[in-house]
Amino acid sequence: MSAAASSSTPGSSSSSGHAEVKSLLHQRLIESGEKERLKEHLKTRLVECGWRDQLKLSAKEIIRQKGLEHVKLDELIAEITPKGRATVPDAVKRELLARIKDFLAQQENI
Amino acid sequence: MSCAHLSSFKTNHGIDSYIRLHRALITPLSALGRSQSALMRQCTKCSERMKQSVLHIHNLSVELTCGQVFCHVCGDYVYDEELEALNDHRFNQYHVSLGLGVKFQPWKASQQEISLLKKHKKRKVLSSSPTVGLRGLVNLGNTCFMSVIVQSLIHTPLLRDYFLSDRHICSQEDNKEQCIVCEISRLFQEFYSGAKSPLVPHVLLHMTWTHAHHLAGYEQQDAHEFFIATLDLLHRHLIRRTDVNPSNCDCIVDTIFTGKLQSDVVCQACRNVSTTIDPFWDISLDLPTVLPQNQVGPVSLHHCLERFTKPEHLGSTAKIKCSICKSYQESTKQLTMKKLPIVASFHLKRFEHSSRLHKKITTRVAFPEHLDMSPFVSHMRNSKSETGGSSSSSSTSSNDALTDSPIRNNRYTLFAVINHIGTIEAGHYMSYIRQHRDKWYLCNDHQIVPASIHDVLDSEGYLLFYHKQRLEYS
Repeated sequence: MSAAASSSTPGSSSSSGHAEVKSLLHQRLIESGEKERLKEHLKTRLVECGWRDQLKLSAKEIIRQKGLEHVKLDELIAEITPKGRATVPDAVKRELLARIKDFLAQQENI
Repeated sequence: MSCAHLSSFKTNHGIDSYIRLHRALITPLSALGRSQSALMRQCTKCSERMKQSVLHIHNLSVELTCGQVFCHVCGDYVYDEELEALNDHRFNQYHVSLGLGVKFQPWKASQQEISLLKKHKKRKVLSSSPTVGLRGLVNLGNTCFMSVIVQSLIHTPLLRDYFLSDRHICSQEDNKEQCIVCEISRLFQEFYSGAKSPLVPHVLLHMTWTHAHHLAGYEQQDAHEFFIATLDLLHRHLIRRTDVNPSNCDCIVDTIFTGKLQSDVVCQACRNVSTTIDPFWDISLDLPTVLPQNQVGPVSLHHCLERFTKPEHLGSTAKIKCSICKSYQESTKQLTMKKLPIVASFHLKRFEHSSRLHKKITTRVAFPEHLDMSPFVSHMRNSKSETGGSSSSSSTSSNDALTDSPIRNNRYTLFAVINHIGTIEAGHYMSYIRQHRDKWYLCNDHQIVPASIHDVLDSEGYLLFYHKQRLEYS
């Protein structure tokens, strides 16, 4: 088993190096459990700022329009994802980015 | 809902394969397991193969982020009670192993609760009407000092959440009439009952008289004194014990109002620092009688807090015994915030009681709607006052790095202001309170009128209540 995620993507050496760093970082995030911590933190922030409630309302609205029997989770996710992504407050994104940067700074050999 | 395909899989193969998948890929409990799972997830060949094999034989696959089961025949996720329960259980263990505590579970109504809800059809719905939660309080004879504090407490967001979610379980079942926490709980119910007529808080007043003798009688009292007495009474009734360490109490009063103040006394002879840490419920701020030079406009709360956390020379008349010098030395003392409370209560010392005179100081103090407490937090304040102290920066832990980063969690928002009108001998208290995030109301005993944030910020200010914007869940 080798981490070969980046080798299949064509591109210049710099972008493949970038992808390698990215996958290595991702792996470290999972290994250390930091990813789960970040996820938990993000969830908290999104609940606090009302993002979750808002998105839940629009999901409910879609279900109401289509009827419960005609909605599949994957379709529902595909439908509300653009809205969900667009409505994440900038402050939350910045905070998450700062925490990932902090984590990256503590890592050796990346 | 579960589906026929999953049910037949379960009868033929049991749920062992689901548990194995969970252990290996979704919620591995060890660091080694996590690193292996990270590798496996990245290996496109493996995951492709796994998916296919699962697909071919059983038409079922498991989503690796949340552990949900997908049925390829139905084309949708299926919800099997047994697997769901197992999934929750595994994620809980996973979270605990990562030091995240038990995962939050939304309320799921039990069969008993469902039948109870069906039996009792009457519902109370919190409408968007801005007047819900607002009620005047009848003045029972110079009791405005009590009204303003009750209004502030009732509109403290976390305290409201605590009481409206029925979290107080009284240990004094047979003596509930004597429990002040139960009485506050009843007041919350009354405030949010939707009724509009002013409340008569005679029970609370009587309790205060019996439990805090210094506040008894129909005389005018100090609202600040009543505030502290009420917190103390609530705290004592909540814990019902005396062996609780006040700095580590987890009752709702201490959870919300307690912060920790660090006092550093520096010996001027040997520079030895002796540090003590004390809990506090509020911060009493001196009002400067002489305005600092270059001061433009009125004194601000920020300025008062800066003075409060400034090193103070104790002088030759107040020598303190230094543990290193073994003698009494002149020293400086500095107070900083070791731990910030969730609700920061500021008491502007407008009533001056000296041997010569008692008077009210009416100096205008500008206070903001949003307040950043970061400059007054111990390690921030100390690193600023040190001149060449870069020795500690290399050992900065990840926690410190976080608080130093541009995202600071020490921001507060104003939610209640208590004002005193009149003189020290005879006066009246009124309070501004915030409801529904940014609607302000002026509460004057039984009267409540809408107000603007400008009215609030232009008022004199005696007690100021700020709520932390972001809460750290631990």
